[in-house]
Amino acid sequence: MSSRKTISRLAGIGSLSAAVLLAATGCGAGGPAAAPGNATSAVTVLVEAGGHAELAGVADKCKAETGLETTFVELPYDGLFNRLSSEFSSGTVSFDVAALDSVWLPNFKDAVQPIDELFTAEAKKDIFPALVKEAQVDGHFIGMPAWTNSEIILYRKDLFEDAKNKADFKAKYGYDLAAPTTWKQYQEISEFFTKDGMYGTDVKGAVETEWMAHVLQAGSPMVIDANNNVIIDNAAHKEALDFYTSLVKSAPTGAAQVDWAAAQNLFNQGKTAMTRFWAHAYRQIPKDAPVFGKVGTAAMIGGSAGVAGVPGPWYLSVPKATKNAENAKKFIKCAYDHNDLGIESTLGLAARMSAFEKYQDKPGYESFKPLIQTLSADATATRPSTAKWQQIVDTVLVPTLQKAVAGGDTAALLAEAKKKVQDLIK
Amino acid sequence: MSAQSSTKPDAGQPATDYRPRHSGFVSAAPRLGTAGQPAPERTRKRRSRNREGLEAGRRSTRTLLWIILGAALVVYGFPFVYLVLTSFKTPIDTIAVPPTILPREWTLENYTSALGRSGVLASMINSVQTAVISTLLSLVLAVPAAYGITRYKTPSGQVFIMAALVTRMVPPVAIGIPLASMMASAGLADTPIALAIAHTTISLPLSIWLMASFFEAVPRDLEEAATVDGCSRLGALWRVVIPVVSGGIAVTAIFAFLASWNEFLFALLMTAVRSQTTPVVIANFQTQFGLDWGSMTALAAVFSIPVILLTLLLQRKIVAGMTLGAVKG
Repeated sequence: MSSRKTISRLAGIGSLSAAVLLAATGCGAGGPAAAPGNATSAVTVLVEAGGHAELAGVADKCKAETGLETTFVELPYDGLFNRLSSEFSSGTVSFDVAALDSVWLPNFKDAVQPIDELFTAEAKKDIFPALVKEAQVDGHFIGMPAWTNSEIILYRKDLFEDAKNKADFKAKYGYDLAAPTTWKQYQEISEFFTKDGMYGTDVKGAVETEWMAHVLQAGSPMVIDANNNVIIDNAAHKEALDFYTSLVKSAPTGAAQVDWAAAQNLFNQGKTAMTRFWAHAYRQIPKDAPVFGKVGTAAMIGGSAGVAGVPGPWYLSVPKATKNAENAKKFIKCAYDHNDLGIESTLGLAARMSAFEKYQDKPGYESFKPLIQTLSADATATRPSTAKWQQIVDTVLVPTLQKAVAGGDTAALLAEAKKKVQDLIK
Repeated sequence: MSAQSSTKPDAGQPATDYRPRHSGFVSAAPRLGTAGQPAPERTRKRRSRNREGLEAGRRSTRTLLWIILGAALVVYGFPFVYLVLTSFKTPIDTIAVPPTILPREWTLENYTSALGRSGVLASMINSVQTAVISTLLSLVLAVPAAYGITRYKTPSGQVFIMAALVTRMVPPVAIGIPLASMMASAGLADTPIALAIAHTTISLPLSIWLMASFFEAVPRDLEEAATVDGCSRLGALWRVVIPVVSGGIAVTAIFAFLASWNEFLFALLMTAVRSQTTPVVIANFQTQFGLDWGSMTALAAVFSIPVILLTLLLQRKIVAGMTLGAVKG
């Protein structure tokens, strides 16, 4: 009993001492605080967790060349928007550079400063046209693309090259089995491989980007035109949605709930023969996955307007509230100059065409040629520049898509969607 | 329906009497029939049958409780067990379709990867710092507040205890953003102290309520006896009441610690480089480009260890505290 009391007392004293010690040194264990605005050769970069790897090499290079010390503040994707909103609205920021998702640019356009001087003629030539256009808001460039992505086609090379499959496919459809380039080919190949517990493709009901890419392929802007008219019920949107839902019979059940992660898992597990997916996924196939080493890549399929994709770029922007704008711009220039260093990271993406081209013929980077082809396509376009875009996605596009893949009437759904979008943007 | 009637043996069948299970089989004497038995014998038999029915009732209640307990264990325990098992899976195993419960191949790679990631150790220290400071703040404020409210029963005290809950009725994000700005203005941006103060706003109202219910359960006579023996009011509180409600304090401390330990939103809004806590670091494994299930579950498993240890350490106090609260009034 007495020993228990002694232990208990010791534990109590220990806990109290620890608590006092911790409280006394309550300045945090993560190193010095981010100090925007008062450092002469330091910069704080707020970045989404996945993007940190992209910029880590740039930071090292920048330090070696200019002596600029970079501190990264990493936050999860969902939290980053909240943090940005919170700090921008308060007027004081804890960072000098922010990595912004392209869909956030319209939301934060008034909180970040122009960086026109960084967009030289050479830079504009080396960045994908859709990204140059998106980076410019109200006549000023407000973000430098740091890395970009686009959907391409990933397919099972081993199945496509199998002699029996090739012969059977030709006999059934009358042309050679190869990576699809058109909607019709994609439908037929998906149908062909849907057998023996396997599916031709996935249908992602929980994300809208792919449907939007098909809208571009059908020759229409996405949802809202240049004059701010809601065009979600036009023929191209319906055609794209009908094509999208036509693939449900060649896809695993529960399409309404399939999102990016689920589709990627299905493909990596060897359950689907093809997927339309972000290009970075090619380099992220686990080495122990049954499909590792058996995957081929191709540009995104094309519709009546040709190949098109929706780019997924991130931009580096300088908040108006920082007093360290010079260093912030210095960092962004480093990121542009050494953009190819991002390709060496685990994520393996860049924003400059020259960076992708430098690697496109190297083994392991087979996704780059299709990526360049898709991003350079004439019909490729970025999302509409409206601060309401995410709200439109969450409350209209995704629910519409989910009802459509579950068998809803596409014309009626699009008519209903039009009213909802109009209400949101008026 | 009584437990006795449900377990009554058939009248025409030879029966044997049973005592509670631990006593076993006690009588194999043949039954003679109730009519021919002397009165004491009948009474004994009836009592025996009553006991038997009561015991059978207890047994079925116990069985039911075990079933409920088992179901609760599965419902609450399985996600954690699955999380721990996932942390030992290989990357492809973590995303298996359909999912598997046990790893096909056991690996510690996720732990190496998660713990080797820069900032993880610092985030653990920050989490401990923040939770400890927040717990201390909650107790230091909640104990006297609850004592005052329960002992002085003034109308303003009653209004205060109700008003304390108002902060819990507002969405945390509505408090978090202004709090973050205030902390920055006070020069406390990105410090565990700032985060701990923010966490105290979460735990304090319920801590006051909890402590109030524990103080209510302590008879005033105890304090009066202490004052008769020469104690001051504060002395009685410190020497008599506090030791009696120590179980309740432990429960409140655990609650406040957990509230801070697992908190995410304020940590997200208020921390950056030097005070980022582990829940934010865990969330960082989910990126725009995918979710690193293995590393995320490994770090989550490690992160849960201190809480499990704390709960085990204070288990006895917690039970005592719960009992104290249960008999109030």
